[in-house]
Amino acid sequence: MILRSLLATGLFCGLIAPALAAGDPILVLGNQPETLDPYNTNTTLTTAVTKSFYEGLFEFDKDLKVQNVLAESYEVSTDGLTYTFKLREGVKFHDGTPFDGNAVKANLERVLNPENRLARYNQFNRIRTIEVVSPVSVRITLKEPFGPFINSLAHASAAMISPAALQKWGKDIAFHPVGTGPFTFVEWKQTDSVKGAKFAGYWQAGLPKVDSITWKPVPENGTRAAMLQTGEADFAFPLPYEQAKALGENKKLKVIAQDSIIGRYLSMNMLQKPFDDPRVRQAINYAINKEALAKVAFSGYATPAKGIVPAGVLYAHPMNAWPYDPAKARQLLKEAGYANGFETTLWSAYTTSTAQKAIQFVQQQLAQVGIKVQTQALEPGQRVEWVQTAPDPKTARVRLYYAGWSSSTGEADWALRPLLSTEAWPPKLNNTAYYSNPEVDALIAKALVTTSDAEKADLYAKAQEQIMKDAPWAPLVVEQNLYATSSRLSGVVVMPDGNIDSRQVAVAP
Amino acid sequence: MLTFFLKRLLGLLPTLAIVAVLVFLFVHMLPGDPARLAAGQDADQQTVELVRAELGLDRSLPEQFGRYFLNMARGDVGVSIRTRRPVATEIGERFMPTLLLTLTSMAWAVAFGLVIGIVSAVYRNEWPDRLGMTLAVSGISFPAFALGMLLMQIFSVGLGWLPTVGAGSWKHYILPSLTLGAAVAAVMARFTRASFVEVLGEDFVRTARAKGLKERVVIAKHCLRNALIPVVTMMGLQFGFLLGGSIVVEAVFNWPGVGRLLVDSVNQRDYPVIQALVLMFSLEFILINLVVDLLYGLINPTIRYK
Amino acid sequence: MSETALTATAAVASVPSGVRTPWSEFWRKFRRQHVAVLALAFVVVLVALAILAPWIAPYDAENFFDYDRINEGPSFAHWLGVDPLGRDILSRILLGGRISLATGFLSVAIGGLVGTVLGLLAGYYEGWWDRIVMRLSDVLFAFPGILLALGVVAILGSSLVNVVVAVSVFSVPAFARLVRGNTLVLKRATYVEAARSIGASDRTILLRHILPGTVSSIVVYFTMRLGTSIITAASLSFLGMGAQPPTPEWGAMLNDARADMVSSPHVAIFPSLAIFLTVLAFNLLGDGLRDALDPKLDRA
Repeated sequence: MILRSLLATGLFCGLIAPALAAGDPILVLGNQPETLDPYNTNTTLTTAVTKSFYEGLFEFDKDLKVQNVLAESYEVSTDGLTYTFKLREGVKFHDGTPFDGNAVKANLERVLNPENRLARYNQFNRIRTIEVVSPVSVRITLKEPFGPFINSLAHASAAMISPAALQKWGKDIAFHPVGTGPFTFVEWKQTDSVKGAKFAGYWQAGLPKVDSITWKPVPENGTRAAMLQTGEADFAFPLPYEQAKALGENKKLKVIAQDSIIGRYLSMNMLQKPFDDPRVRQAINYAINKEALAKVAFSGYATPAKGIVPAGVLYAHPMNAWPYDPAKARQLLKEAGYANGFETTLWSAYTTSTAQKAIQFVQQQLAQVGIKVQTQALEPGQRVEWVQTAPDPKTARVRLYYAGWSSSTGEADWALRPLLSTEAWPPKLNNTAYYSNPEVDALIAKALVTTSDAEKADLYAKAQEQIMKDAPWAPLVVEQNLYATSSRLSGVVVMPDGNIDSRQVAVAP
Repeated sequence: MLTFFLKRLLGLLPTLAIVAVLVFLFVHMLPGDPARLAAGQDADQQTVELVRAELGLDRSLPEQFGRYFLNMARGDVGVSIRTRRPVATEIGERFMPTLLLTLTSMAWAVAFGLVIGIVSAVYRNEWPDRLGMTLAVSGISFPAFALGMLLMQIFSVGLGWLPTVGAGSWKHYILPSLTLGAAVAAVMARFTRASFVEVLGEDFVRTARAKGLKERVVIAKHCLRNALIPVVTMMGLQFGFLLGGSIVVEAVFNWPGVGRLLVDSVNQRDYPVIQALVLMFSLEFILINLVVDLLYGLINPTIRYK
Repeated sequence: MSETALTATAAVASVPSGVRTPWSEFWRKFRRQHVAVLALAFVVVLVALAILAPWIAPYDAENFFDYDRINEGPSFAHWLGVDPLGRDILSRILLGGRISLATGFLSVAIGGLVGTVLGLLAGYYEGWWDRIVMRLSDVLFAFPGILLALGVVAILGSSLVNVVVAVSVFSVPAFARLVRGNTLVLKRATYVEAARSIGASDRTILLRHILPGTVSSIVVYFTMRLGTSIITAASLSFLGMGAQPPTPEWGAMLNDARADMVSSPHVAIFPSLAIFLTVLAFNLLGDGLRDALDPKLDRA
């Protein structure tokens, strides 16, 4: 309360902003980019930064629809194996070299070469050959049909790096990005910020609209919120849900919340008692009040999960959420032979305060139906050791596991296969429920090699319905992306996958 | 004194070697696979193996150990797993901000602590003493995180006098050093008070007073010197703690120091960085404690070192 | 002004009646310090509250929740308000006192004991023993807390006992260095040399002549350290050690309040206040004890 009145006086003073040079917006992020090589990161926010310098053949727009960027069009052969791309003409890299078919070939062959040991290798490893047909045309042949191929090229990691710069810098390209993006690289002060300057030769007329762009990583939630209020930041993402209301009352700020494709769920280790019993898994689904969870842990900035895959993902199949019904939960537990409940552990994949609230909330809810839960928020090393690299599924220690996922290709395949297919059991990927249904596996595999949209939608819908029925998870909520900009800033949008589109960034004088 | 100093410096090496061995074994024992952490959540097994080879973590533990020591002997502390930059650069960039913040925090905290401590001792069990004690206790029982946030809300957001984050100008130092120094000031005040109370009752103080010396002279000349030993000890310890970088304060004020580096490297199991940091911390502590031991000799000439 | 100025005359005036055992003497002097007695009373009440917490807490500290009143400020129903998960803060502070007081006190006591012994020996004998103890403490100092805590969890697993172990280990080197510094000075004091010249054993000198001189530093550091260790215990429960949610503990309550303290300060203020009052009481008590133990401060 004291703080709130102080905030109010701050508004009256209104003399805070240390005058920022016009046209030099500062964008504040929750974590530090670990590299500026888009092929060597699995962190979404890192690619939000690299997108200032790099573009790919395609990109996702704010609704996660694929748009052409450096490719003007493409054709697929009927067998789904050969893709022919027509490239945009007249595009230049920051170093003045032209963008052409050879650049596409050089970039994709770089990531495909295991010698280079790049973290995005598996996103492209279905490519067999890349041929340059002409400077403006490239033909890519796949080893097997792969439905989400264009989506994987639209992902921010599939960026076009200047081949001349690759030659010059080698591995150090991570510190000297040279692409076709709207900004040229100025400097990367590891402890402070990444800075880019307007690229005069940018191919899209009228862009960029500002002289420079500065990305500043600030890990502490409350500090990002404070920086917005003092005018030291023009944009901040993510924001603490708890402060959204207070920030919204500040007239100098625009607070925006939008549905994301980040789903939160509780996986249950189906190889272990008592979670091998479907009635127990159903009971847990019935026992958790998702509306209240969204309110308590997310301050209302989340919606109860409708199905397995969040609605913004392509081929998502919305279904009715499990209703909150503790009586039914107790009934089911009784039928399963756990009339007096049981004890188990609940781990969280994160240590954020939102995650800590969420697991304590689930703990409270399960206690109501007699399930005593020990919670622990796993620190990253523990998570990797105990969950992701557990060598033997039979002895894996994970029981209830609170986690989240965002499909990086914006497509159902990457929302299902790494989490729920049999091949994705740890230590390979993240099927922490150790769920295995041959039918679902077959549906996912078949959808992957199908090129017809309608057929794919049908296959994925069937898979999601089956999973919902088997209940390896208790789907909880779909998060909202919460961010804010100063009122003078426009053109920066947080996309549903948590990436940021900042190409149109503009600052009102 | 000089030979003592040189002997102690020589004695550094075995201590550091022991620390190096300990920390190597220690970090490798922690749960968590750096390769998988570096590869990220989306990575499959194959990618993780690629990253592992890239990081040199596919070699056997004795081999890694040997390489680590050989390289260190040559002055090369390796490359960060997380950022792939030389560890020396990573630490080098962050050392000065932490050192400067430590110095500013120590400066005000020690001055403030000494004054409060002396005043409390002189006005023992009277209201200045009680006030000093209350201040001191609040300095340690209010967590740094809350204090930092509160100061930021008042002086940056509310009044707009001071910047929130960064380390560019003197203004940037005020809030973090206040937050960081609060606990130090508290401990210093309590210690100064305690040892002054002790000394004020000693015979030589009574003698000095009996000689008719002014109270101020008695305190400054006779008490200070004799009360300083525990105060200096504590000061050295606190200085060492602060040099390790404060995780909380550096997070709140986005301070580009070694505390954040430590957290990031522990989270990512960035072995080379953790090892180098711990070595640096022990070197700092050894040097500080060496200086403290030398100060003992200066303060009380009867303490001599062989 | 300073009462010490009067000591020379006052000491003569206090001629006691009856037999003076050390205990009665101590109590006589302690009783005169009203603030310290008050602090003692507070500590006793605190311990009593902690023990009786399950019976006197107005709500179930772990299982009661009201999602319609999240972060609500103090009211008649909830005297200290409601926390971010809809639980009653007063009940949680009462119950949380048990673990916070026990782990805080125990861990500092163990760390202080070990550290004091090591420091006394190092300062008294100097030489190689001193070098070993001090280098060891340098190494311990250098090991960052979070690393040490992760290591303890990895080796010993997580339990409340291990929290006490971990926090004690943190405390040992500081106590050792502190006591060593004092010992270095005291062993050269005239009265210690006198004792040695009349043939007192090392043991006697250490326990009867040097240890009392270090008590004031020890007591001060002990009482200050208490607060720190309560807060430290919270960061350990964050790593999966110690009290696990929903079991309340003051430090952990502060940790949980992090996200909400800007918008609802009371969720952080009340647990802070509990720690503050406790540490203050222990500090006042410590000062009183020290004074009562000090033979030089004997005045009527």
